[in-house]
Amino acid sequence: MIEWSYAINQWKPSFDDFTRRRDHERALRVISISGFTGVELTTGTGRWEPLGNPEQLAANFGSVRGFADFVRDAALDRVSSWFYDPLLGFREDLSAPADPADPDAHASVRAHATWFASALADLGGQVLVVRPTASAWQRPQLDDGAIGTIAKCWNDVGRAIAPLGVRLALHFDFLSALRPDDGLERLIAATDTETVGFSVDTGEFVAAGLDPVAFIDRHPHRVAHVQLKNAAAVDDRDEYTRRNAEHHVRKGGGARPVPRWFLELGVAPGLVDAEAVVRALVAHEYDGWVTVESDLSPHPPTSAMLNGWYLQHVLQSIVEEAR
Amino acid sequence: MKWSYMDHWRSASPNGPIDQWQTLDSMDRFLKQVAAVGYDAIDTFDHRYFQIMDQYGSVSNYQEFVQERGLERIVNTFHAAVYDPRTYAPHVPETHANILEDFRVTMDRWSGISLDNIIVMPATLYYDMEPVTDDKIKTTAELWNKVGAITLDAGVKLTCHHEFFCGIQSKHELDVFYANTDPALVNLFVDTAQHCIATVDPVDFYEQYADRVTGFHFKDTRHQDLVGDYRRRPDAELMATTTPKWFHEMGDEGGLVDFEAFMRAVVRNGYEGWLSVEHDKANKLGGDHAESTAIARWYAKNVLDRIVAEEGSK
Repeated sequence: MIEWSYAINQWKPSFDDFTRRRDHERALRVISISGFTGVELTTGTGRWEPLGNPEQLAANFGSVRGFADFVRDAALDRVSSWFYDPLLGFREDLSAPADPADPDAHASVRAHATWFASALADLGGQVLVVRPTASAWQRPQLDDGAIGTIAKCWNDVGRAIAPLGVRLALHFDFLSALRPDDGLERLIAATDTETVGFSVDTGEFVAAGLDPVAFIDRHPHRVAHVQLKNAAAVDDRDEYTRRNAEHHVRKGGGARPVPRWFLELGVAPGLVDAEAVVRALVAHEYDGWVTVESDLSPHPPTSAMLNGWYLQHVLQSIVEEAR
Repeated sequence: MKWSYMDHWRSASPNGPIDQWQTLDSMDRFLKQVAAVGYDAIDTFDHRYFQIMDQYGSVSNYQEFVQERGLERIVNTFHAAVYDPRTYAPHVPETHANILEDFRVTMDRWSGISLDNIIVMPATLYYDMEPVTDDKIKTTAELWNKVGAITLDAGVKLTCHHEFFCGIQSKHELDVFYANTDPALVNLFVDTAQHCIATVDPVDFYEQYADRVTGFHFKDTRHQDLVGDYRRRPDAELMATTTPKWFHEMGDEGGLVDFEAFMRAVVRNGYEGWLSVEHDKANKLGGDHAESTAIARWYAKNVLDRIVAEEGSK
């Protein structure tokens, strides 16, 4: 069965935004009334990231389970998933950024992934979505040795969190070091089919020039999570290799520039065929969360409401027809 | 209970803030957002007629556009007249012929669809009617009895919405007005925030006139007018001393309206019509129409629906 959640990351464009409880309550209520049943969190660190990690949840809501109650009070069922980028260090334990391509960082990645997965289990969540490696400008070449090191890291994590009832989903994005030289496919081949799944982020795939439907058809049993969002442009100038592409390309739009890389579902001139994606998921009997996302939205409530309309009036009927 | 949204809306565009009437695309996005969060219909302003004709060709075409986005229909229209004691003022008998003709024209323009109510502010700005006397209110009542006959002949109820800054807003003024209007022709549309600001308890007021009520604006406020802002020149709505933002969406923090008690009264009185949500000027002080519209609907679904069930089971 497909369950629908919404990623809350769009509500926090900068480190000093979205810190107050009223902001969180209103965002969760907008997500709920727009037709979603779960919410996806994004990791963060420090006192201005109340939803960023288990320690901050406890500091702001009494405990992780206190936050689960807060989510239910907003008429959502639960936290569906948590997005974890190991390249982010944590002030809470003074840990440094940990790169899965560095064997010395594996223990830190595994410990933090387990920290989040344990909290997810308390929140009723089921998927730890992770950024599997650095951006391409940071690691321009991932040879098979590096792919093997990254795979070992995530194989270890997958085994560590499976007993918690949490699936691991490696999330590819259009700035990823996995983009050149077929890195994504090589990582799929190198990772454990049982414990390491993948997150298909439709907007990121299309922005990277990849076809999300073809990926689902090719690897249906590796799809552990979906982030559904529209894309407005393809990075066909290899701008992802530019230094600090997160700032200059993803947020700055690159040389053209692209005003918004990502759009709401079904909105012109979007390039993602969300209906085809959902049909593919249904055809392969996908059982899990589809998290609708609108990161970098200029207007989060409107994005959630427009995506909610598209879910209710277009996508859900595809799922229901298949029953 | 079905919920309609009174269509105040602003959104950002590359050319600055716009309302939903700018383009077909901005209307499409507005309607989808309203439908997405569970409203069943919209209310609108009948002065939009000219934009409707320009962009959609007819009122019924526009309603079809609304329906194609998952909303049932247009329930009510608000007749936002520009009052002027020289030409158009309910307490000035010499202007009544203009007003009556205006309603004949308006009802003809909107005859292509079926409306429940045409909503009016039944008096001019307070300072244009001062001193407000019982005689002026009776003159005003005579006009609306005639207008009510015109609208009813077109199958639409005339209903009165008392802004806190209009000439009929205190409890005494309201009582005189409803004592002198025909219950068959002139109805009441209770805006919870407007009465609250005017220090008229909306629950008590609704209970007193429940048999004349044909609709509501569920809307909140954080302030009552305790300093006479209602008669402030040149404007009370946006330039008041008390606050630059009178209106807030239902379900926000700090609101003065007791919506649970209000909804219990609505159910207790057997009301069977539409419920409208309004939060005009929600974009002031950094507010946002889309978010407010979602928050109000969340409150209706998750709080008021429970009240309806509880009260209905008694």
